Order: sequence, then structure tokens, then C-alpha cells
Amino acid sequence: MKIAFIGLGIMGRPMALNLLRGGHELTVWARRAESMQPLLDAGARAAASPAAAAVGQELVISMVADAPDVREVMLGAQGVAQGAASGLVAVDMSTIAPSAARQIAEDLAAHGIDFIDAPVSGGEVGAIAGNLSIMAGGSDAAFARAQPAFACMGKNVVHVGASGAGQVTKAANQIVTGMGVLAVAEAFAFASKNGVDRAKVREALLGGFANSRILENHGQRMLDRNFKPGFKSWMHEKDLNIVMQTAHELGLYLPGSAMAGQMFAAMVGSGLGEEDSIAVLKLLEGLSGQA
Amino acid sequence: MKVGFIGLGVMGRPMALHLQRAGHELHVWARNPNRIGDLPVTVCATPAELGRQCEVVFTMITSSADVAGVALGAAGLSEGMAPGSVLVDCSTIAPEAAREIAARLGEKGIAMLDAPVSGGVQGAIDASLAIMAGGEAAVLERVRPLLDCLGKRIVHVGPNGAGQVAKAYNQMIMVAAIEAVAEAMRLATASGVDAAKVRQALAGGSAASRVLDVMGERMVRRDFAAGIEARLHHKDFGLALAAARASGVATPLTAVVGQQLNALMAQGWGQDDTSSLLRVLEGA
Repeated sequence: MKIAFIGLGIMGRPMALNLLRGGHELTVWARRAESMQPLLDAGARAAASPAAAAVGQELVISMVADAPDVREVMLGAQGVAQGAASGLVAVDMSTIAPSAARQIAEDLAAHGIDFIDAPVSGGEVGAIAGNLSIMAGGSDAAFARAQPAFACMGKNVVHVGASGAGQVTKAANQIVTGMGVLAVAEAFAFASKNGVDRAKVREALLGGFANSRILENHGQRMLDRNFKPGFKSWMHEKDLNIVMQTAHELGLYLPGSAMAGQMFAAMVGSGLGEEDSIAVLKLLEGLSGQA
Repeated sequence: MKVGFIGLGVMGRPMALHLQRAGHELHVWARNPNRIGDLPVTVCATPAELGRQCEVVFTMITSSADVAGVALGAAGLSEGMAPGSVLVDCSTIAPEAAREIAARLGEKGIAMLDAPVSGGVQGAIDASLAIMAGGEAAVLERVRPLLDCLGKRIVHVGPNGAGQVAKAYNQMIMVAAIEAVAEAMRLATASGVDAAKVRQALAGGSAASRVLDVMGERMVRRDFAAGIEARLHHKDFGLALAAARASGVATPLTAVVGQQLNALMAQGWGQDDTSSLLRVLEGA
């Protein structure tokens, strides 16, 4: 399949490499030319702009930072819409607001382009291993066209619903993981302040209803005090801000997410933004006099 | 002086009338001309035309986008106002938006003050508003005689945007206080104690406040008809939380109160008074 890939950062690069390995014919574009080199070495072709990358493709995939970036690469002066033939399927795998994704879908439809929002979960590790969770929103026909590409990048690929549904799912994912990390950190702070060994507490909880992947993985890293990302806390803050913005627009009552969002915002403000989101533990310990 | 006024809502109308009573020649523009009614004023066809006529223009409208549209849009104020004239924006908008609009107007030699107010409809009627101004001190001094017609406490907070920052703090404190009063009222009633008596008792002590006085009274009477529509506080909380986020500052109480406001909106009470926070608690 002829595919263009735009955005070759920590996530995008391994995802694009997996498409090449899957036998697809790949054209790439990235804002910084040096980001393209590993892909060109592996057999991809470079394009001069997103518009040029889109010429003659069946599928265009973007993996960039935030909604304005997606708009720019899709609909900007040098954007995909300027180079695409009618009937192209465009897939954005970045995490952006559901409302922004719906608007982009509508604007691309005016150019005859089918859009799928398909954010991912699983981090850099999942991107390299090709076992990301992919949550997609868009038409059945467009999803079917993109399926061969998704199969190279992910394992758990779910077509959730219409445009925006993928981003809604990703936001829901960030609610669960954001509060989950905070819950484990609070449980650890609680145990220590009571003079109880948190490693033992974790071990005991793993056998019961509090068991979770977050208690298992993130909990272990908290015990090791290994705050290297993983998933940077500023990105989790960005994602929870999408949740809270959406809640504000809809009149939606999410007190737990609001509190978790505040904790992550405080991490960014106190210089922990580049550390893994488990560094929320440091914030709790500091405020509880456990430093 | 020829003074323009845009935004004749529950706040804007009494403010405009004070300016007129003080002897100023009032020019108005309204998106919905029915709003003007029988006010004895000069009605202008566009903000640009109003801008051509006036030395000082007041705006009292809802959102950042509304102010930007009226000031900078097609047939907007900036197409009519002369260099040296002053826009006084009394709306509550984002500090960044205020700075941006001031900068754009500044390119044409038009001065701007962000001058949001506090005191509600009663304060507007009584001309006792608190006015928090952002912009050049010299510009504030030029329009101070006009502001004196509207309010009692006029404070120059700092450069453009500073007035809006102060207003955000005002809203954080006030709505959090409304929530606190609502929770106390709710608890009193649930404990079988007369909420009116509790309010009366507290009014003499350390918990006494204007919010307990005014909003507490509304809660006791269950009079949820707007004073200031709750949807405006909901809007302001969005601005305050965005500003906190941009500064990397945790504001956990504001975040939780913001959620209570979200629930209030979901109940369809956005056009009622913010004392409806009591009803949110009763529904929980």
C-alpha cells in the first residue's frame, strides 16, 4: 500500500518503521530534516512538504503534538489537502481534543478526504514492538482502508465509532491512567506515613481487587524511584486538560479528573514536567512532610 | 464629552445611563437594536461609526471573541476610532485576549484599558462598582472622571491585562465563597437546623461576608432568579483555570468549584443565579 507518514518523533519513527517492515511503500515528511534520516536509510522516500507527501497516496498518517499541528499538516498552506487526490484517507494518531478532531474531519471532507482519528496507547515501548492499542473514529469504509496499516502498528485495534470517538476513548484512557497513577501514589504515601513498608503493601494488593497494570508497572517504578519517562508528566497534563476543556464545554461533572489535573499541572509548575507521571509521588511526599 | 457604549445588558444599561446623567452625550450600538429601547441616545449603525463619533468608548459584552469582533472585526471600532481616543473594556475576558486587543489597537494609536468590574447588577445601579484597570496610568487618569460615574473603588492594577487578572482572582474568591455558603446551608438543613437562623448567627462573626449576606439570603429565600447569570461565572472559571494552567500553578479548590459549576450547567441552570450551587448539592 502507498502510505505517507508525517511526524517522526519518539512515537512516529518506530511506527513508520513498522509500516516499512510490513512491506508498505512509504513516503515521509518531518519538520526537522534529520528526523527523516533513519527512515530514508530504511528505504522510505522523503517529501518536501505534507502536500507533496500526499500526492499519489492511498493513505496519509500524522503523528504530531497537538491540534494546531494536526490542522497545519492537514489543512495548512502546504498541507495534505493541497496535494491529495479526492478519495484519500487521512489518519491522525496524535492525541488532540475530540471537538478539534471532528472539525478537522469536517474540513477535510470538503476536500473529498476521509478522516480517521486514531490515537494510541502503549507508549514508546508499544510503538517499537508494534503492539499499540489503537482507538479509531471515522466511517466504516475509511477504517477498512486503513486497517492494513493499523495491523502493522498495533495489536488491539478498535473501531469505536464516528469521527471524534477515537479521541473520546483516548481521553477516557487518560482519565483512568491519570487517576490510577495518583491513587497508587497516594496509597504508597499513606503506607509510608503509617510506618508500613510500601513494597509489602504493593505485593499484598496485587492479589486483590486493587490489582491493576498501573499498580504493577508504575507501582514498581515508584518503589525503584525510577522517574525517567515513560510517559512525561507534561504530556499527561496536556491530555487531562483536553478532558477538562471538554467537560467545561459539555457541562460534565468530573471532580476526580479535576483534582488529578491539578496535581499534574503542579508537577509541570514545579519543574517535574519532563519526568514520568509517577513523579506525582514526589509532590505528595513533599506536601506530607515525607521528603 | 461624546461617549460610546456597546453592550446594553443587565450591567451595561445602568452603567450607560449613569454616564448620560453625568451630562455626557451618549452614542450606542447594539447587535440587537431592540435592546436600546427608548433610551434617549444617538444610535449608530456599526461600531466603526460609533468609534468615529466618540472620544471614549465603553464595551460591556460577554466573551473574548465578542470584544475582539467589536474592536477589530469588519466595521469594528478600530476602523472608526481616531488616534488618541480610548477604548475602555469593562467585559470579563481572558488577560491574554485583553493584551492582544490592546496591542492591535495600539498600532493605530488607539489606547485601551481593560477595566472589568465587580459588584453585580446592584453595584451597577448604585454606581458603586469596584473597577480594576489595566493599561497606562496616564490613560486611566484621562478617563477617571467617567469611571467615577460608575464606581467607587477604581484601582490601577498594572499594564494591559492586569485588570483581567485581578478580575479572575475576584471570581475565584467569590464563587468559592458561594459554594462554601451553599454547603453550610445544605448541612444546616440536613441537620434539622433552620438555615435562615444559621445565616443570621454567622453574619455577626468571623464568617461574615458580602457573599453570605447577599447570596446566603437568596438561598434562604430560594430565589434563584439571576442577579448575575451563573453561566458567566462558569465562563470566568474556564478563564481562571486556563490562566492557572498557563502559569503552572495548582488551584485545587478552584478546580473542584469549577466542577460544581459544570454540574450546575448540566442541570440547565446557566441562566439562573449562581446561588443555584445550593441546588446542585441538593441533587447530589
